[in-house]
Amino acid sequence: MLKSWKLKEIVLMSLFGVVFGIVYLLFIHLGNIWAGLIGPIAYEWMFGIWFIVSIICMHIIRKPGAALIPETMAAIIEVMLGNAVGPRLILSGIVQGLGAEAAFAVTRYRHFNIFVFMLAGIGAAVFSFIYGYFVSGYAALDPSFVALMFTLRVLSGAIIAGIGGKYIGDALLATGSLRGYAIARTQPRDANA
Amino acid sequence: MRNLLHDMNPAMKFITVTIAMLGLAFFFNPWTPLLVFISILLMQFVFSSINWKLWTLYMFPFVLGAFGYLWTTIVFSAETGGTVIWSLFGHDVTDRQLALALSLSFRVLAFSSLSLLFALTTDPVKFVMSLMQQLKLSPKLAYGVLVGYQFLPVLRDEFFQIQQAHRLRGTAVEKYWWQRLLNIRRIIIPMLAGAVRKAERSAFAMEARGFTGEARKEFYQPVSIKPKDFALSAAILLLVILSSITGTVLSS
Repeated sequence: MLKSWKLKEIVLMSLFGVVFGIVYLLFIHLGNIWAGLIGPIAYEWMFGIWFIVSIICMHIIRKPGAALIPETMAAIIEVMLGNAVGPRLILSGIVQGLGAEAAFAVTRYRHFNIFVFMLAGIGAAVFSFIYGYFVSGYAALDPSFVALMFTLRVLSGAIIAGIGGKYIGDALLATGSLRGYAIARTQPRDANA
Repeated sequence: MRNLLHDMNPAMKFITVTIAMLGLAFFFNPWTPLLVFISILLMQFVFSSINWKLWTLYMFPFVLGAFGYLWTTIVFSAETGGTVIWSLFGHDVTDRQLALALSLSFRVLAFSSLSLLFALTTDPVKFVMSLMQQLKLSPKLAYGVLVGYQFLPVLRDEFFQIQQAHRLRGTAVEKYWWQRLLNIRRIIIPMLAGAVRKAERSAFAMEARGFTGEARKEFYQPVSIKPKDFALSAAILLLVILSSITGTVLSS
């Protein structure tokens, strides 16, 4: 799978992983302070932030794996920076990345429009929720409360990760620094390219 | 003795800690996670020499999070059986609900202590080296991650430069903390654009120096697995298993 990858694409994903790894950690700590007040539901509405790097990188690079790898790399870098969520972040990174990747795989890596990005955000949300259901013991909570958490997470995945990811990718394209990548080879306004 | 955990093979430590965490997810009694928390803490006290001030600093937000878990689980519990132990604002709290709530919040604490056992005793670069050598992570990805990691201080400086440039021109209003948080979106685009260029330059530099990213057998900095790594990993897992058994017995 890695054979078709250029080194500059991998290093790009890693640097994005660093930038978003820091953002992710910042939001984990903010989320914790929040969560002390309103419980684990505090994370749900902003969960999309944690999926965004998959969508940005897939938007730019458009190769199989461009959603899974950066999310995993961001998780590894978060672990390298040191924090109290620790090694299990790598697992959740892989799970989230797989969720986003699934959406692109279903559309066979041919369509990169806002709907597919939102679908990828939803995919990451669904996968991460199933994983979180197990690890965080949501089974102990009232089903209707869990349903509310799930809805919030899916919405957050679609809006923050899907729309936000596309917005950041497009803004980056406008800076002209992405000339050597797949995103620049398509018409920027052509939604079905 | 005091550097045993620091010297442990990072990949092995990573797998051990992850298995311990996933194993903990099967227990819904309050004693198991509490015992794991205490035993891991003791283990860290004996076998490592970490900065406990840093430990407290890292732990603090998670204690807050654990408290959130506590009351959410009490209020929104799936369990309604058991005897009522106390009543608050017309909401009856039963002993089973309380046990469940304590279990989930202690789980947060146990997870955090396991994570910090890993985080505070592991050298980040050695961890990636070990992932590559023991877990067969592709060198392309491993060195890619390391390049990103080395750029960390540069990116941090860049963040402050862009922030200050924005302030200088008066583009950003930063009266409150949430405004500063919202302004991140204005900083992140130039930062990412810079990151793209840095990635390109360093990838070319790596290739120019003969980096192919092919899997290899010999390494400049070999990270090995020694018998004592197995012993330590067995010790951690044993602590978790003993806590699980004791916890289940105590709560039944």
